[in-house]
Amino acid sequence: MERIGEPVRVAVIFTPGRNIRPVWFDWKRRKHTVLETTYSWPEKAGDKLFLHFAVVDGEALYELVYDTLEQSWTLNGVEAEP
Amino acid sequence: MTHRTILHIDMNAFFASVEQALNPALRDKPVAVIGSAKRTVITTSSYEARRYGVKTGMAVWEARRCCPDLILIVGDNRRYTHTSTGIVRMMRDYTPLVEVFSIDEAFMDMTGSLRLFGPAKNIAMLLKSRIRRRFGITCSIGIAPNKMLAKLASDMEKPDGLTIIRPEMVASVLEKVPVGDMCGIGRKTVRVLRLLGITTCGELGRFPVDILKKRFGIVGEHLHRMGKGIDESPVIPAEQAEPVKSVGHSMTLERDIERREDILRYLLQLSEKVGRRARRYGVSGRTVHLQVRYADFFSSFSRQQTLPDYVNLSDEIYRAAVGILDSVTLEQPVRLLGISLSGLRHGETQLPLFSENPRKVSATQAMDQVNDRYGDFSVTFGTLHAVDEEKGSFVISPAWRPEGIRCVDVE
Repeated sequence: MERIGEPVRVAVIFTPGRNIRPVWFDWKRRKHTVLETTYSWPEKAGDKLFLHFAVVDGEALYELVYDTLEQSWTLNGVEAEP
Repeated sequence: MTHRTILHIDMNAFFASVEQALNPALRDKPVAVIGSAKRTVITTSSYEARRYGVKTGMAVWEARRCCPDLILIVGDNRRYTHTSTGIVRMMRDYTPLVEVFSIDEAFMDMTGSLRLFGPAKNIAMLLKSRIRRRFGITCSIGIAPNKMLAKLASDMEKPDGLTIIRPEMVASVLEKVPVGDMCGIGRKTVRVLRLLGITTCGELGRFPVDILKKRFGIVGEHLHRMGKGIDESPVIPAEQAEPVKSVGHSMTLERDIERREDILRYLLQLSEKVGRRARRYGVSGRTVHLQVRYADFFSSFSRQQTLPDYVNLSDEIYRAAVGILDSVTLEQPVRLLGISLSGLRHGETQLPLFSENPRKVSATQAMDQVNDRYGDFSVTFGTLHAVDEEKGSFVISPAWRPEGIRCVDVE
């Protein structure tokens, strides 16, 4: 998996029960529609809580991370090969 | 004290999951994988089938009684070895310390890689995501300070689980774990421990070690450590593993056979597979073993013969196997045949008997080169070509590994 670590713009649906579902994100001037969130998991780092999302857009697997304190999104990594 | 971080990855219902991933019509349905269309034992089953009580090793008629809608699939070993190899490759993206335990299980020592890749939980979840995307299958992962606990943890949530046993949690987790859940404690040991009043790991850890040693010998000390959750065994990658002690193949036959010429033909096929693999990896051996399982499934025998010289030519192995066969009287038709070569000498750069029979050695080398290029049995003994359609079904041994001499091509 290639490491990216770039801030990205993400469209998200906040569903009842405090669930977050990424719908699409912008990366490399392209809009990537999330077809499936394969897994999501929290990560506590000191006072910070990060929410990780492994998502697919039909072409690649991406790891999106939401910093709940900073309220920012980062594209952590991508795996493009089949 | 620095703790190790070990991951154990266990693929869920591996063979059945691979089949379901490749064929959407099988998804969410009760599926069982069998070795051969003409054979009747379940190799593995999907979780949907397990809910009906279908289990590994069950006869097909018994499985069908549990689940009348059960779909039977004849296993494709190459699919499974290909998938397993791909998954092990992914694991090596995170650490070189990957120990393949079997075709569907592996350990990773992440202790030295955490600074580079972040918390073990993130690595585990990304690995699960990558496996699911690439192969469409799920796995259960256990994270713990040692291999024994990591394996225990991966068993705790199935399918598709992730369980972490942190060092400070070990004692409380083990307190109620039945001793039989520990890898390495079999049914017989469980029975003896029960007689001593031990049913959980917590009880095992507290039990006086002297009594355990008196009852089990040196294993008693090991059991005590298991009860305490102590396991210092390292994760051993393939390149550091001990050299193999034997090279062998076995196959369950499509039908039970009793005619000598039929048995000899299969022995030749097995000898060629053993010889090919031994030659490819530069080993030769002095002891040839023959394994026979009879038609009733339960009775079998194994005999060996030690030769005066080291051999790895297929016909030498075959002749030894036939010699063993001729020394016994078969009691029933034969269901399974196996040949292995042990007493190995590694690092053979030349084929043995070079000076004795250079033409045979040259012919074997030429055959091996053709088969390396065009696939096994492209050029082989005439006896085998005549019965090409009647090859047995090969079993993936627990000793299978994705590379090296233990990488067995099982069609």
